[in-house]
Amino acid sequence: MRFVRSMALAVAMSTITATTAMAATRIDFFFPVPVDGALAKEMQNLVARFNQENPDIEVIAAYTGTYDETDIKTRAAIKAGKPPAVALMSANFITQYHIDDLVEPFDPLVRAEGKSPEDLMGQFWPALSGNARTDGVVYGVPFQNSTPLLYYNAEAFKEAGLDPEKPPVTWEDWVEDAKKLTRREGDKTTRYGIMLPGTYDILGWTISALTLSNGGQYYNPDWGGEIYYDTPSTLGALTFVDDLVHKFKVMPEGTIQTPAMNNAFFGGQVAMIVSSTGSLSFIRQNMKAPFKVAFIPRNVRNAVPIGGASLIIPKGNSQERKEAAWKLIKWLTSPQISGGWSRFTGYFAPVKAAYELPEMKEFLDKNPDAKVALEQLAFAKPWFATYNTVAVRKALEDEVQAMLSGKKTPAEAVKAAQANANALLKPYADATALNLPK
Amino acid sequence: MAQALTESTILAPRLERPAETRRAQAVVPKRAAFWLLAPSFFLLFLFTYVPILEALMQAVSLEGFGGKRIGYGLGNFHRLFADTAFWTALSNNFVYGLGTVAPSLVLAVVLGVVLQEATRLNAMLRTVIVFPVVLPLVAVATLFAFVLMPGVGLLDYHLAKLGIAATNWLGNPDTALYAIIGLSIWKNAGYYMLFVLAGLQAIAPELHEAAKLDGASAATRFFRITLPLLKPTLAFVLVIAMINVVTQIDHVIVLTGGGPSDSTNILLNYIFQAAHQQGDTGRAAAATVISVAALLSLSVASLKTLERGMHYES
Repeated sequence: MRFVRSMALAVAMSTITATTAMAATRIDFFFPVPVDGALAKEMQNLVARFNQENPDIEVIAAYTGTYDETDIKTRAAIKAGKPPAVALMSANFITQYHIDDLVEPFDPLVRAEGKSPEDLMGQFWPALSGNARTDGVVYGVPFQNSTPLLYYNAEAFKEAGLDPEKPPVTWEDWVEDAKKLTRREGDKTTRYGIMLPGTYDILGWTISALTLSNGGQYYNPDWGGEIYYDTPSTLGALTFVDDLVHKFKVMPEGTIQTPAMNNAFFGGQVAMIVSSTGSLSFIRQNMKAPFKVAFIPRNVRNAVPIGGASLIIPKGNSQERKEAAWKLIKWLTSPQISGGWSRFTGYFAPVKAAYELPEMKEFLDKNPDAKVALEQLAFAKPWFATYNTVAVRKALEDEVQAMLSGKKTPAEAVKAAQANANALLKPYADATALNLPK
Repeated sequence: MAQALTESTILAPRLERPAETRRAQAVVPKRAAFWLLAPSFFLLFLFTYVPILEALMQAVSLEGFGGKRIGYGLGNFHRLFADTAFWTALSNNFVYGLGTVAPSLVLAVVLGVVLQEATRLNAMLRTVIVFPVVLPLVAVATLFAFVLMPGVGLLDYHLAKLGIAATNWLGNPDTALYAIIGLSIWKNAGYYMLFVLAGLQAIAPELHEAAKLDGASAATRFFRITLPLLKPTLAFVLVIAMINVVTQIDHVIVLTGGGPSDSTNILLNYIFQAAHQQGDTGRAAAATVISVAALLSLSVASLKTLERGMHYES
């Protein structure tokens, strides 16, 4: 009896082993959705399609929350020895992954196909390569990208005697328009000219956009140990924002939470806002009054940072899984899929060839606002990424929030932000640039 | 009833049982008890004690580049105490604790006493007051994001009728923490009221009748009978409330992320930031050790103080 039972067990075991050997390579794919729920469903659809087209691979797509949560979960999975084969990671976190030695380079996978990393990056918009490559090595493949945009209420423009076809181009225009757009009744302001989002993360991104527009570089793109806060370009950007609030009074005092900003825009309590191109679909769906989009106005030059996410292969995966991951990544970044995702979400497609497709051309003709976002790409720069990016970003954001509430001057804010950021960057600087021959 | 049970297990004075009965009972059931408890103990060990040990280990070690862990002694604590953000978080947490616990408890007692008679109106009012308890904190926070919206939110909409101008409740470092405190009181007072109601049921009506016959006023009866007899309940609720102060941060994360300018950054959020945003597990673990130790000693101290001078029935 016992013999029979153990035999049966052995047979069952060997069948299981056999089926696993024949079955597809199973890989996990962690993906965040920063905007809304419909995107998660669409991503599951895409992965189901991939699995059908590639019977030798079985991708299990796991929705992992926001960008930050995806970072936490990916790190936890790597630590637990079960890394996902692919993760969609906020583009400016990749530097830290590289510093921590947690991410696979793409170069060997590309070279194995007889291509060079240049061929790979050549498919994408040039602005994206800054965050995708570190020291010339590719660690991330761009998947969904964005830039900040100026959204404005066309009706409010008309009402204020402005031409909705002529959005502000320089900061000078921006202030003048904002003054005209601000509507006051007694000591109450019923409509503000401008609102900038003040929530952590998007605040840092917005300030970096203004700093870039002011001629700045914001951070050292080649080495993760430097950030340029106490500089004329950042000081100028902060002073401009402070003036909008306290001098021209065209923007409300205090930190503006992003949902409050969106609501005010939908409700006509503010005429111009700065938001991501990734919010385009969201705003289109919720805004009743006609609105338009434009470039972020410039003081010195037109320049904006990119945002969005890239696909990475975390370390700790077998060669087989890496190859399966690479196949998935190539499929996801092919022009058709990339273009479809772009039309669905509002992110721009990182692959240039996506815009050659007829369905994409048709879409751009129908949605001129998406076209503006695409044109601004020519002026895009990499997204700031340093050692300890989030904390370094927060060092400035806390000071800007204090400034917005009138507790600090712009000069005090940049000084304190620089000091705090330097302290945060010190361990990395000590381990690299200050690690000298003894 | 269940309420009374929990209390008696936690708060009941140790009743000395004669030695021989104890020994007689001990032999056989002890082994059975061990096996009955083993599965729970195993899980408790795996998911509670091991993480506690792990946190202690992390608190005294440092993770370098590439994830190598080295012994670091009390270095993390030194770094923690040198970090001004930690002290900000600590003082915020203190203000938040004082601001939520005291008003919620007072509200809970007042509401409990007022609504203790089981009339139809009271039953309805109780349901209304307990309603926030059944909502998840995350949902409440999302709701309050709209309530607190400057100018157009529910709060400002009604304040505007009183002639009070739009206020950026969450966007101003001076008001943000108080907005969060208001939310917490709204969310928790009803929950604590449930305990108070249960505690009130246990007070013998004869005591009040006797006091009434003796001519005691309502206020005297409240302060001389109700409140003293509620003490065990209040001690228990106080501990729960303090645990909530340290462990609940959903609303902070949803509404402000600790900002503006760290004004709503409380300890657990600080720990979250250190561990997950800055990858500094050593400092995060040190802060965890400190906050758990503080919470533990506060709980024990408050139970001890309230236990003294407690009145037990029969």
